[in-house]
Amino acid sequence: MKKLHIVPLIAAVGLVALATGCTTVNTVGNAQPVAQKQMVNDKRVLTDASLDRKVRIVGVNSAVNDAGFLKIQVEVQNTTRRHQSFTYRVEWFDQNGMLINLPSYTSIPRSVEGKESIFLSATAPTERARDFRIKFLETLN
Amino acid sequence: MKKTLLLSSLAALLFQAGCPTQSAYVTDQPNRYIVSGKINIQDFDQAADSMINSLNDNWIGQGKLKSAAEGEPAILAISRIKNNTGQQLDTDMLTKKIRVALNRTGKVVTTTTLGLGGAEDPLAADKQKEGEFFADQKHTRGFDYTLSGKIIEDQARAGNTRQSAYIFQLSLTSKDGLAIWEEEQKIVKQGTRASVGF
Repeated sequence: MKKLHIVPLIAAVGLVALATGCTTVNTVGNAQPVAQKQMVNDKRVLTDASLDRKVRIVGVNSAVNDAGFLKIQVEVQNTTRRHQSFTYRVEWFDQNGMLINLPSYTSIPRSVEGKESIFLSATAPTERARDFRIKFLETLN
Repeated sequence: MKKTLLLSSLAALLFQAGCPTQSAYVTDQPNRYIVSGKINIQDFDQAADSMINSLNDNWIGQGKLKSAAEGEPAILAISRIKNNTGQQLDTDMLTKKIRVALNRTGKVVTTTTLGLGGAEDPLAADKQKEGEFFADQKHTRGFDYTLSGKIIEDQARAGNTRQSAYIFQLSLTSKDGLAIWEEEQKIVKQGTRASVGF
C-alpha cells in the first residue's frame, strides 16, 4: 500500500523538476526586417557535438564601421529546452593572418534560456583586423 | 609473486595518475582559472574587454575621436577610478588593459606625466618640464580626454547561495567637461563555494 503512495509522489517531484529546468523563451519580431545583414560564409570545426546541440551557431554577419573597424555578430540558438551556459572567445587576425594579441583577450561567459536565440557581437581591436575566429567552449562547472 | 608485483605497479600507476600536481601554470585559459565570490582577474578581463569593444564601437568607430593636433593620436589622461567595493583592488587591472588596447589602435596615447595625485612617470615629467623651460614654453600639449570611473559591489544571499555583483562604470570626458562616452558592465556571480571555470 505504501509503495502505491510513493509512485505518484515520485512522479510529482519529477514533473516539478522538469518544469523548473525547462523554461523556454517566446520571441516576436518584425516579419520583414528592414536591416540587411551581410552574412559571412563561415567555416566550422565542431569537436564538441554536445555543445553544438546545446548552442547552435545560426549565422555570422559582419560590417565595417566609419573608422574601418571590423564588427561581427554571431547568432546562436539553444536548441534544447534547458538553460545552457557556455563561454566564447574571439580571435582577430591581420591581413597576413597573424593573430592580434591583446591583454584583454579573454573568454566571455554567456548563458541562454531554452530555445532562445542570442546575438554575440564584437568589434575588432584595431583597423588592421581583417579576419576573425570564434571559439566556443562548455563551462567547466 | 608476479601477481603481487603487477598489482602493486598498477596501484602505483593509478596513484600517480590520480594525484594532481601541487601547482601548475594556467596560460591563456581563463576557463580554468579559480572562480570565487570575490572580484578576480576574469572579472577585470571581461569588464576591460567589454569596455574596449564599446570604445571601439561607439567612440573611435563612430569618428567621434578628436585630437588637438590634427593627424596625431588623441591624448588620454587617467583620472580617478573609485573603488567602492569592500575589497582592496588595484584599478590598473582594469585601466591598463584599456590603455594598451587604445594604444594599439594607433589613435589614442596615454600620458604618463599628467595624472591625478602626480605623474605616473616622474622622470618623464621632469624631462618634460626641463624641455618646456629651455624652450621657454609654458606648457606642451595637454590631454584631450580623461578617463574616470567607479567599481561598485553588491552582495546578496539566499539560503546557501551567495551572490556577488560587481558593476564597472567608466566615463570618458572631453576637455569641455562633457562625458562623450559612458559605459557600464555588470558581472554577477552565484555559488556556494569557489570553483574552477567562469
